[in-house]
Amino acid sequence: MTRATRRRLRAGGVYAALLVVTLVMCFPLLWAVLTSVRPNDEMLSVRLVPQRVTDAHYRALLTGRSMYFEAGAGTYRASTAPSQHFLSWFANSTLVTLATTVLSVAVSTLAAYSVTRFRFPGQSFAPYFSLLGYMTPSIVFVFPLFVTIVALGLADRLPSLVLGYLSITLPFSLWLMWAFLRSIPLEVEEAALIDGASRFQVFRLIVIPLAVPGIVATAIFSFIVAWNDYLIARIFINSITQLPLTVGVMHFFEGTHVDWGLMMAAAVLITLPLAVLFMFVQRQLVVGFGAGAVKG
Amino acid sequence: MRRRRELSDRQLGVLFLLPFVVLSLGFVVYPALDAIRLAFHSKLPFRNSFTFVGLDNFRYLRDDPVFWAAAWQSCVWTGASIVLQTVFGVAIALLLHQAVRGINVFRGLLLFPYMVPTVVIALIWRWMFNPELGIVNAVLKGSGLVRGEVYWLSDPTWAMVSTILLNVWKFTPFVVICVLARLQTIPVEIVEAAQVDGAGAWRRFLHITLPQLKAVLAVVVVFRTIWTFNKFEEIYLLTRGGPGTSTFNLAVYAFEQATANLKLGVAAATGVVMLTLLFAGSVFYLRLIRQQEAV
Repeated sequence: MTRATRRRLRAGGVYAALLVVTLVMCFPLLWAVLTSVRPNDEMLSVRLVPQRVTDAHYRALLTGRSMYFEAGAGTYRASTAPSQHFLSWFANSTLVTLATTVLSVAVSTLAAYSVTRFRFPGQSFAPYFSLLGYMTPSIVFVFPLFVTIVALGLADRLPSLVLGYLSITLPFSLWLMWAFLRSIPLEVEEAALIDGASRFQVFRLIVIPLAVPGIVATAIFSFIVAWNDYLIARIFINSITQLPLTVGVMHFFEGTHVDWGLMMAAAVLITLPLAVLFMFVQRQLVVGFGAGAVKG
Repeated sequence: MRRRRELSDRQLGVLFLLPFVVLSLGFVVYPALDAIRLAFHSKLPFRNSFTFVGLDNFRYLRDDPVFWAAAWQSCVWTGASIVLQTVFGVAIALLLHQAVRGINVFRGLLLFPYMVPTVVIALIWRWMFNPELGIVNAVLKGSGLVRGEVYWLSDPTWAMVSTILLNVWKFTPFVVICVLARLQTIPVEIVEAAQVDGAGAWRRFLHITLPQLKAVLAVVVVFRTIWTFNKFEEIYLLTRGGPGTSTFNLAVYAFEQATANLKLGVAAATGVVMLTLLFAGSVFYLRLIRQQEAV
């Protein structure tokens, strides 16, 4: 066997293994997409690709009128899934996630700049505090946090979710921004200060542009935490119109019949913003992971 | 000549830090301390009753067989998840480390599950593992591997298996990312030298790659163990801890005590137990780091 053949065989083996692994890992998502476009009367078939493709499930979600096919009776019936709220849940999730991301980045960048550039007592405590917050499971503080939220009169309102998510993202965002800002050399800033620039100008025109990779990593992390949360919203929010997507779609399991096409369409639509985000930030995500931008 | 008087650096430092400190004290530190205080009190939700009961909540845990079952199930769940994640994670990382054309596409596809919300995975799992309609049973029956239905979510053993599979599927990418990052820093020369010396692929992995990965694997395993032990959504959304209490872990136990039994004190006491274990785990982790730095 020549070297070239051996190399080609080896590459073939690698591709075969990669394909199998990718197929296994991506199958659940693929199956969700395929189910979401499968007509109700084909739901029972195991055929990979449906014979007819339908947008009925997506239409039901977006218009709030869902039907399911009752095989025994051979007819369509109105589903009990509260799909009429799907769009408001989507809006709630979007609003809360964006607010959390912006606040998390702003607050932690300012704080990290302060901790890395100025001297005052107690500042060395910050990274340890972050590590503690990073490790503490939400289930431990979600109930006491709810008591505080009730006392503030925010229960069952969207701002309560932003505060709840900040309690998860802030300690870690500070740690991340602290690590990034610490690695930016002070000389440029000092030169600018000597040349007569104010601290604010230095912060805005020199530090922020240099910190962009850290800011992106922090933003991605905060976005994922807020968009994916279930526990905090489950405890804090009671009214069905105020729910975020994650808690909302679990209501689709109530009632006597589970409308799987509707369910998978919802699963696809919840994942879509993350998939778009992932495509744009894949490279930064790996950079962020390198800096420890992970929790899970 | 000086321009308009600016804030001093010290004032600015305090000003920049202020929002973070206020939010952290109010919504991180205070609730965490309150959780510990609550563990020694009896409290009903939406009532102002708040009575000191000493160690009663902990005695309740000691005498509750469900608590001990949940603790044991946490260990089973965590142990199985970590072993599988680590093995699959290392294998996939080695595969993704190969220099072949289009590898970045595969890297992207294999990392994405980590971003998928647990709610979505739970929805998909409930559909795929549905005994009558799900694809998993259909394939198993079609291939003749099993006769009749496997009750993935309503049989105690299979329910545990399903939650472990969900956890492994979601978090294997985490191990992959960490291991892959380390693999890329192993100097090519070492591997090539071994190749020239005639070491086969398996021996190269065992004697060169694996020792290089030891440090990162230790850190990954400790972190993943701590997080997995405390997971809530990955179990609750799939099985709600059921059938019965057969997939309860400590987090689900605490949640049920607080919401179904309205025993906030008992839930908080469970939280304190979890925090204690977490603290022990962290100390172990710090020692590990120090040992590695000493080597």
